[in-house]
Amino acid sequence: MAQSKSSEARTGWLLISPPALVTLLLLAAPLATVLVYSVLTGSRGAVSLPFSAENYYNIFRSSDGNILDLIFSGEWGAIPAALTKAPYLLVAGRALFVALLVTLATVVLAYPIAYFVSFHVQPSKKALWLFLITIPFWTSYIIRVALWRTILGYDGIVDSSLMGLGLMDGQLNILSYGVTSIIITLAHAYAPFAVLPVFVSLEKVDRSLLEAGQDLGESKFRTFLRVTLPLSMPGVIAAVLIVFIPTVGDYVTPELIGGGKVPMISNFVEVELLKRRNFAMGSALAASAMIVVAVISLIFILMNRRFLGGRK
Amino acid sequence: MTFSPDRPTMIEFRDVHKYYGDYHALRGINGTIRAGEFFSLLGPSGCGKTTLLRTIAGFEGIDNGAVLIDGKDMAKVPANARPTNMVFQSYAIFPHMSVAENVGFGLRRDPRSRTEKAAAVEEALEMVGLKGYGARAAHALSGGQRQRVALARALILKPKVLLLDEPLSALDKKMREHMQVELIKLQRQVGITFILVTHDQEEALVMSDRIAVMFEGQIAQLADPETLYRRPNGRKVADFIGTMNFIPCQILSETGGRIEVEAKGLGRVMLDEDQVPPARGEGEPVVGLRPETLTMLYPGQEPQERAVAGRIDEVIYFGDMTYYDVFIGGTDVEVRLSMRNVPGRPVLDVGTEVQLAWSPSALVLFR
Ligand SMILES: Nc1ncnc2c1ncn2[C@@H]1O[C@H](COP(=O)(O)OP(=O)(O)O)[C@@H](O)[C@H]1O
Ligand SMILES: [Mg+2]
Repeated sequence: MAQSKSSEARTGWLLISPPALVTLLLLAAPLATVLVYSVLTGSRGAVSLPFSAENYYNIFRSSDGNILDLIFSGEWGAIPAALTKAPYLLVAGRALFVALLVTLATVVLAYPIAYFVSFHVQPSKKALWLFLITIPFWTSYIIRVALWRTILGYDGIVDSSLMGLGLMDGQLNILSYGVTSIIITLAHAYAPFAVLPVFVSLEKVDRSLLEAGQDLGESKFRTFLRVTLPLSMPGVIAAVLIVFIPTVGDYVTPELIGGGKVPMISNFVEVELLKRRNFAMGSALAASAMIVVAVISLIFILMNRRFLGGRK
Repeated sequence: MTFSPDRPTMIEFRDVHKYYGDYHALRGINGTIRAGEFFSLLGPSGCGKTTLLRTIAGFEGIDNGAVLIDGKDMAKVPANARPTNMVFQSYAIFPHMSVAENVGFGLRRDPRSRTEKAAAVEEALEMVGLKGYGARAAHALSGGQRQRVALARALILKPKVLLLDEPLSALDKKMREHMQVELIKLQRQVGITFILVTHDQEEALVMSDRIAVMFEGQIAQLADPETLYRRPNGRKVADFIGTMNFIPCQILSETGGRIEVEAKGLGRVMLDEDQVPPARGEGEPVVGLRPETLTMLYPGQEPQERAVAGRIDEVIYFGDMTYYDVFIGGTDVEVRLSMRNVPGRPVLDVGTEVQLAWSPSALVLFR
């Protein structure tokens, strides 16, 4: 009995070892490299010993002096002013802010779509609807971003229609407001990803629970708030993670849409690694972004636990 | 049965019709359910019991007719404003809430204070035998406990009518019989009108003050259990409730309501008016005879009324009872009879020649 189990386990290991090796080489090795580089001393085009935390320290740099120094010396009053002059912290803050806005916009857009498909589409047509929702994926992301440029840009579709209708005199040129256009583009790109987990969690809601809610005196809307919404939270949190994690590190969109005017973390990492060729600093930035995302994701996952805790 | 027939009407169905697409699910339901009554909707699966119950709760609109609760037409009253509460077949316990939160779900707009509401929840839990279970997670309960939570959750709102859709069908036999008795006691205690949907005729007979037997979207007979059992108004009802022997017969004469028939194997019998239900079915006339109205005569016993000779064809032993299938009067007509197994009365073998005592007043004519 025990023997057959261990031989089964050996077969299992044998079966997963090729993909495990590939994963190790393609994922773990670069990750480890980044982590190691981030604590080495950097110079142009090379890294060298000794180990130091200087790169991480430098992330808090500002033109009014390092913010960590201000904190440790107790100069609290100087911190707000210094924060506005700290390039890395500013861009990190902006990236988080943009990612949160994109996540919010995406989930708020996706929830009603998922709800509609789950509750108001005939069961036989649901698969077709989900298929239609994935249509945007049929075109490459770069092409979709390029399309948004023509829609939002100077004399683009938005501007020319608004002016054609006589609603506006001048060009709106939404594209020039980097953050807005980045949020619109990313939200559109990730909405289908968010629809699916929310849809799945709504499908799992026992419909007799909704009748029970009304039977016990609540309106349809109140029943939604008290029953449907909490029961679909695992899907919502999954959607949040699916959208939030890649948007924090998104590189293409700010480059193409914001015209590089509103760089995000990844763009800074690129500058450090490829232009300044400071591999150590670039690695420290990348690692910091990863840590922040990991912490925020962990919070969401713990929240999900709580919601999942109440169910079988 | 403590039920008094002069109670006021709680629910009235007036020619209720319901269609699902082309399917005619309810085909002209008429009848009344009285206040404080334990009422059952009984019928085979798919006959429309759940649909009818849902028209009372307000989950199902109707295409014709009217449903009145306490004298008010419910046509424009949504489910959440009706004075009814439901115990769902699946119990529909909210899985993301504790037992106490489930039971208190309907109290949100109740003006009482938080502590008063908590006390009401505790009281409701105590009533269904779940005292002290309030803090438990609802999803961790057993089937029987979930059902009690569903009951407490509905009863705490003091509805005029409690609707129960096959509440016992998911429980095992022992638990089911236990809950039948508990439900009867609970109904006596709270005095609320209970409407129970079931396909189990025994359950309906045990629990109900009155029963509506439904077939194919119509009420075939609405009566108290004893009338249903002793005087079913048609062959289908007779067949659905308990066991009934059907014996082919010929109608010889009709005089002023009394009918004389020649029943195969039994001979000539004169039937009174009340033994001839008005409903006319299709097919040849038959007389019906319940198994327990036939008695096997042991050597030395004399029949009180009439007797017929027979030969045992099948013996079905149940422990406390034995069922015998017997060919009667030298014909191919087979009847089933049930005998209590008392000490000193041996179980007979297949092929034994026996005498069966029967009473003409136990017969019902279906024509
Ligand atoms: N939502 C529905 N759509 C279509 N047909 C239905 C629906 N609900 C019930 N029916 C049909 O109506 C008939 C009666 O159903 P129901 O009232 O659930 O029967 P019962 O509870 O007596 O078993 C069944 O034939 C069933 O298939
Ligand atoms: Mg049913």
